[in-house]
Amino acid sequence: MAAADSPSAALRRDLCSRGIRLAGKMRADVVDLLDAYVEQQGLDASASVAAVEGVPLAAVERWDEQTGTQRLLENLAAYRAFRALLAQMLEEQREQLGEAEAGLGRALAALLLQVSAFAYHLEELLRLENRGIPGEEEEEEDGPPPPPRLSLFEQKLRGLGVLRELAQWAVRSVRDLRQLAKPSPATAAAPGLAESP
Amino acid sequence: LGDPQNLKCVTHNLHKMLCTWDISSRGGRGQTDFCYTTNDLTPQVCFKTKERRVEIPIPESSITVTIKSSGTAFATKFVIRQKDISFVPVTPHILSLTPDFPTSTLNLKWSDNGSVFPYGLDALWQIQILRKEAMEVVAQVTYNSKLTQEDVILSWNWTSDMPLECTSHYVKIRCYINATQFVGPKDWSDWSPVEVIPGKDTEPGGSGVFPLDPVVAVGSDLTFCCVHEEDQRIMNMTYGSKSYTMMQLSSRSHAIRVLNASVSNSSGTNVVCRLENELEGSVVFVGYAPDIPQNLSCETSNFLMIKCTWKPGRPSGLYGERRTKYRLFERTSGKNVSCEVNEVNKDHACGFPVLPDQKTYDFILGVSNPIGQAQSSLLVDITQRVRPKTPEKLTVTGNNSTSIQLRWFINGSFVEIRLLCQIEISSSHSERKLHNVSMPGRKSSTYTAQLNALHPDTKYQLRVRCSAADHFWRWSDWSRGVEQTTSEAP
Repeated sequence: MAAADSPSAALRRDLCSRGIRLAGKMRADVVDLLDAYVEQQGLDASASVAAVEGVPLAAVERWDEQTGTQRLLENLAAYRAFRALLAQMLEEQREQLGEAEAGLGRALAALLLQVSAFAYHLEELLRLENRGIPGEEEEEEDGPPPPPRLSLFEQKLRGLGVLRELAQWAVRSVRDLRQLAKPSPATAAAPGLAESP
Repeated sequence: LGDPQNLKCVTHNLHKMLCTWDISSRGGRGQTDFCYTTNDLTPQVCFKTKERRVEIPIPESSITVTIKSSGTAFATKFVIRQKDISFVPVTPHILSLTPDFPTSTLNLKWSDNGSVFPYGLDALWQIQILRKEAMEVVAQVTYNSKLTQEDVILSWNWTSDMPLECTSHYVKIRCYINATQFVGPKDWSDWSPVEVIPGKDTEPGGSGVFPLDPVVAVGSDLTFCCVHEEDQRIMNMTYGSKSYTMMQLSSRSHAIRVLNASVSNSSGTNVVCRLENELEGSVVFVGYAPDIPQNLSCETSNFLMIKCTWKPGRPSGLYGERRTKYRLFERTSGKNVSCEVNEVNKDHACGFPVLPDQKTYDFILGVSNPIGQAQSSLLVDITQRVRPKTPEKLTVTGNNSTSIQLRWFINGSFVEIRLLCQIEISSSHSERKLHNVSMPGRKSSTYTAQLNALHPDTKYQLRVRCSAADHFWRWSDWSRGVEQTTSEAP
């Protein structure tokens, strides 16, 4: 007989499903933005971009073995990084293009809002699980080291790398959240992010 | 020792000459007696030397030289005339060779050694620029100067058709002096030692595409190069979406040549160098220098701020930090204002504060972007360029069967002028009439007028606009309308 849902398990499932929808929307928007970005920046869509410093990689080894907390913490760190990277892209966009290509600027700003919202959503999930939220305060105090001054072409390539990786992360986040939404045996007894099977 | 032969004399400075000779048979370097005399009246000058070269004064016309090597019975006599003496300037030396990478310009400085000559002379300098590992001559230029018996440092600029980073550039110089009074043969000096500006292809880790992120004028012919590591194979170089034939500059540098570049899009045109496992690139912004601003016009609506407007002309095609920037400079006061202009929309305007006790403004609108600059000027008496703000709060303050009193408010200080206001009166059964009224201007004040000779029991639509009375410039916009019906005849 299925155990009655405890209120926090139901809330967690609700947060996970809302997170999944948010990540799905984010992915669709990133893909649209990627096409516009490639065209507007005159890049070759097939260009291979080396790993860009500071961009969190979505690919992870032994994804299955991650605990729920690890998933949330890695997701949160990634989207905080993307928030900073997108904010920098937006700043560079304004610097380089001014009022031209305002459409791309607006799309970037909208995506930045989504990423910020998703990061907040992940924090909610961590709070729900009584997990401390990694201090962003320390990050803000020192703040990430100022990125090296890139040439304009390097900036364009980095932007491409950021958007491509963000699209990958959105896919991973959906899978992570689906994993979290599954009731694991342990949760039946003691709600909280037990070790994943 | 054998007999001296082949006596040759060369002068480098038209003062002295250096004479050298051979000895007919091999032998050690024994003592030689060298004597010369310029003519029969002057005593012979003699000295001993072990060298086979002697520096002696240049004769007015000719000189008789006798040379006697040790161990020979007789001296050998030579007569050297001025026409036998060749004049070869001293080899010049480059004082400095300074690169300016952003403009791909080399600045060359050297001394003209003018102080060694007894009088002023015309000098020709031949400057050679060489490039690539094979040191190919890419430019040879002749530069003229006048020697003035002083050492003058000469300076000369040369702009390369490719970025200086692309490969090493070498420079050397030589001199020819057109000494017309000197009858002997004249020749070029030797080339100076070569000076080099090393390219990035000589630096470890110097790879990249050059020039980096340049801004150039539409129609330019451009050379881009890709500097890479020795072992890196270069696949291709593209400009925008087009691949170009590459020229090899060195084992670590390849270049492409783009002719008559067209305007780039707002994010610039990418120049991409595809290496085996890496992309290198640069972004070039191709645009126009700013046009001279057209129809520069300035007016004030409130005697607090002057608003200047103009037509920018052809868009520059440059955006963001490369956009065209505008500054309004007023000559009389020396005041300078930076104008915030949105490069995308067509209307360009700039605000300048009305200055106390200043009616006449001598404006210069300066326009610049990385490609060029332009300016327009305008001399204006601001009291003759008044276009008041739209009259507000038009209200009827009283009426009877044949007249209506109106009141309205205009924001702004017009104490320096008289205002002319025009009231438009229309009703269903009479044509639109315009009633003009003038009054002294005041500071942010209300104004009144009375309309007479109206028809009783008639509904009227009324609105007002104003301008300067004495020097009409432009009407304000019409105020909002009001309606009023005159009362019935008594």
